[in-house]
Amino acid sequence: MDDDATNSFRRMSSRTRKVAPKMVAALASSDNRSQAALARLEALENDNAGLELIENIDDEDASLDDDEQAYIQKRQSKGTKRKTRQAKALEAKKAPKTFMELLHEASLESLPPHVPSYIKAAVGPPSSTSRRHFCTVCGFAASYTCIRCGVRFCSCRCQNIHNDTRCLKFVA
Amino acid sequence: MSNVVVLDNGGGLIKAGFGGDLDPSVIIPNCLYRPLSAKKWLHPSPISISTTTATATAAAEASSDLDLTSASVRRPIDRGYLINPDLQRDIWSHLFTSLLHVSPSNSSLLLTEPLFTLPSIQRATDELIFEDFNFASLYVSDSPSLVHFYEASRRPTSLLSRAQCSLVVDCGFSFTHAAPVFQNFTLNYAVKRIDLGGKALTNYLKELVSYRALNVMDETFIIDDVKEKLCFVSLNVPRDLQIARKPGKDNLFRCTYVLPDGISYTRGFVKNPDEAKRYLSLTDEASSPSLGVKNDVIELDVSEKTENRKKIDLTKNEFDLTNERFLVPEMIFHPSDLGMNQAGLAECIVRAVSSCHPHLHPVLYESIVLTGGSTLFHNFAERLEKELRPIVPDECKVKITIQEDPILGVWRGGSLLASSPSFEAMCVTKAEYEELGSARCRKRFLH
Ligand SMILES: [Zn+2]
Ligand SMILES: [Zn+2]
Repeated sequence: MDDDATNSFRRMSSRTRKVAPKMVAALASSDNRSQAALARLEALENDNAGLELIENIDDEDASLDDDEQAYIQKRQSKGTKRKTRQAKALEAKKAPKTFMELLHEASLESLPPHVPSYIKAAVGPPSSTSRRHFCTVCGFAASYTCIRCGVRFCSCRCQNIHNDTRCLKFVA
Repeated sequence: MSNVVVLDNGGGLIKAGFGGDLDPSVIIPNCLYRPLSAKKWLHPSPISISTTTATATAAAEASSDLDLTSASVRRPIDRGYLINPDLQRDIWSHLFTSLLHVSPSNSSLLLTEPLFTLPSIQRATDELIFEDFNFASLYVSDSPSLVHFYEASRRPTSLLSRAQCSLVVDCGFSFTHAAPVFQNFTLNYAVKRIDLGGKALTNYLKELVSYRALNVMDETFIIDDVKEKLCFVSLNVPRDLQIARKPGKDNLFRCTYVLPDGISYTRGFVKNPDEAKRYLSLTDEASSPSLGVKNDVIELDVSEKTENRKKIDLTKNEFDLTNERFLVPEMIFHPSDLGMNQAGLAECIVRAVSSCHPHLHPVLYESIVLTGGSTLFHNFAERLEKELRPIVPDECKVKITIQEDPILGVWRGGSLLASSPSFEAMCVTKAEYEELGSARCRKRFLH
């Protein structure tokens, strides 16, 4: 763990951030902005929203019931060691499917049209498409869009703050 | 004479206790967590019942004896559904053995399950209950019907009770449902769902604070507390955005949250609670009726103090909030602001009602019941009514009631049902399960 147990805030801010592979892929794809928007929505359902955890969730989350595995995970998340083959095998055996995977397997699309299902219960798109945009820096009505990441801002001032410190830094 | 364990197995909180009791005996987060100081995944400690209502905070209570700064969390439930039975077994085992002190083989179980649970998940759940825990019998129910059942018995003279019909809006941890209930059964062909709940709101608040003040992306428990203590629903978004950019004392929304320092306090807190409550003095007088309208009309005042925010000060252990306080719950009313292609809550309700027989429409609009932890934001019902009224037919009355305790309402309905004389006959016994299997037993619960 952190040896410099100074105060909690330092512990938070000293964490280094790695961009999760999904995000990297999303951002490198041809349609950066819509991909990034999807990744962002996806992230709203994450349990451990810190980016470094996103990459652990899929493959390591389920295998941590005892000390030893927790230890393996810790080393992994710091990026110092590669996974042992044994740890990998354990994960493959124990990782639970995500809800989206289970949903896919259930193939609800093949149900007759009158049968209510998870898919049919979705509320559907809004009738009016007037999307309001709020500046991600200050929260006020925003009329401009960052060409790199698609995030909104309201003014030059907020644009500068965005470019300097925030662009592509978090899932957004 | 067996006792009935009533288990409202939420994605955020487990509410558990005994049929016939007024309140659950145990409320506990449905997760394991690992604080930075721990090598193992730990069970959270139970939350005291008296604090679940109003502004009390689940997360902070749970962490009373532990510093949850940057703790990781594992949940058995993903998007509302049980996807990790092994983890749920762990949590239930702790619950039954160490907290409720029950012996499942001598007990019946009333379990709540979300609407539209996939057959594969139902099967895994039944295996847990009958094969791992050996419960004597089981009844599975959904939250809307239990909420209706409870409200109908609590208010026997109400329209809801006389017509045996209500529209239950359950805005919980994982998602939000508008569910018409008729004669104690949820009309699932008419149910509509928004894929937003308390978890997404907390994550959105994390994102906003991390963007604007300091990095709290790992602070689920702290930001849960911030959300529960400081967020509210705006009755007039354009007006409130204006107020939120005012400097000094005129800014009724500005308040400060202090993060735990890990030394003198392990929980965060609102720096000046009176300051944080100033927004309550706002009345709805001058509000415009066009809430859904684009608010590009707010003119920009780029020149000076529009952004009164302090520079990010890394030595400080606190951050300010202003418009985040209402922009977060705003998502439930306008998911499209976030780029989600889903209608907001008012439209969701209208679509659910419209899917029912026209005879039911007036009764449904007049018997809207709000439940679930995410309806606890100040002004939630008022805002909903404001958005609903213009899109509901004129001849229909709109009446929204919020449950006395939106976190415990489902459980209380379950407790009431479990103590009713017909309950035992509604259950599936272990022997029946062994003979018929999961799928056929499940059919029993649908009428
Ligand atoms: Zn701005
Ligand atoms: Zn950008």
